[in-house]
Amino acid sequence: MSAGDVNQALLADLKANGADFFVSVPCKLLGGFISTLEQDNEITYRAVNREEEGLGICTGAYLAGRTPVMVMQNTGVGTLITSLCSLGNYYRLPFLMVVSHRGSPGEPIGAQVPMGTAVETLLQTINVPTYMFSSPSDTKKIGQLVPFASVAEGPVAAILDYDFWGAR
Amino acid sequence: MRRYELLQSIAPLLTDEFVICNLGFPSQELYSIRDTDHHFYMLGSMGLSSSIGLGLAMEIDNTVISIDGDGSVLMNLGTLSTIALEDRKNFILLIVDNGSYGSTGDQPTHTAKGTSLAAIAKAAGIASSVEVAGVDAAEKLAECLKTPGPHVIVAKVEPGSPALTPIPLSSLAIRDRFRDAVKQART
Repeated sequence: MSAGDVNQALLADLKANGADFFVSVPCKLLGGFISTLEQDNEITYRAVNREEEGLGICTGAYLAGRTPVMVMQNTGVGTLITSLCSLGNYYRLPFLMVVSHRGSPGEPIGAQVPMGTAVETLLQTINVPTYMFSSPSDTKKIGQLVPFASVAEGPVAAILDYDFWGAR
Repeated sequence: MRRYELLQSIAPLLTDEFVICNLGFPSQELYSIRDTDHHFYMLGSMGLSSSIGLGLAMEIDNTVISIDGDGSVLMNLGTLSTIALEDRKNFILLIVDNGSYGSTGDQPTHTAKGTSLAAIAKAAGIASSVEVAGVDAAEKLAECLKTPGPHVIVAKVEPGSPALTPIPLSSLAIRDRFRDAVKQART
């Protein structure tokens, strides 16, 4: 499956599970997926400046009955911890974070590795259900995390590594 | 005039608008003056009242008012550019600027030393961005409620808060009654 096909399949599976409102902060790994979001007329998609802002906008959309997904790089988890706790967890806001895993095997930039190593533990420490995905065939499982966030009544994270896009 | 008196002055203007209120002290003040299911009291996540209001305004026709603080807006300045690009006619950001971090002991913020949030909002692309004295805020808000936004009102007030108690609502109660009220307004 080509990277473009993976991105199409991922969006199709997220939409099939009810996701209809997307925000993103850029990442090289997510570039193709973000283009896929930009070209889809059936969803609401907005680029935002920072993950916390994205969480705020997703919260507003959730309060209006939408099903939001935040698309972001794992480095953004570091800026998001407080708001994930005091907004996402405290108000039990169900939404999915689709997180690219920079700093994992395949990574060419050393500066990405410390956060790449910490991200899963950080999310687990604040009790955000977190799942790692490495295969292009995982898009269905990732899509199923949209309703799972409602079942779990809170934020849920899917972390997608280089192999998910066949990028190494 | 302090924030409390400012909130007293604007409360009579609120009817079917949805209000996102920033942090504990301002939320306690608004709750004690007027409480309805159209209020979302955002008790943590400092800086995100503006962004939550924007996300809501994208999805509903009612006017959305985010009540924010100067210290909080300084923590999330980037969202002013998103508010400008989004260009929602039904969104008002009311920044109650007391030049201090009121919840933590009134340490001065940078607006107390010359930073103009109205000028920053205007430079971000929100044409209707004005600074007014606190006593004039209600008149300005009434005007903004009648004209297409987005609007940013920076209302200058004195620091200080009355002694109040925490809002006796759980986070889930705040969430659910607000979400239900939005749902009703949409049908």
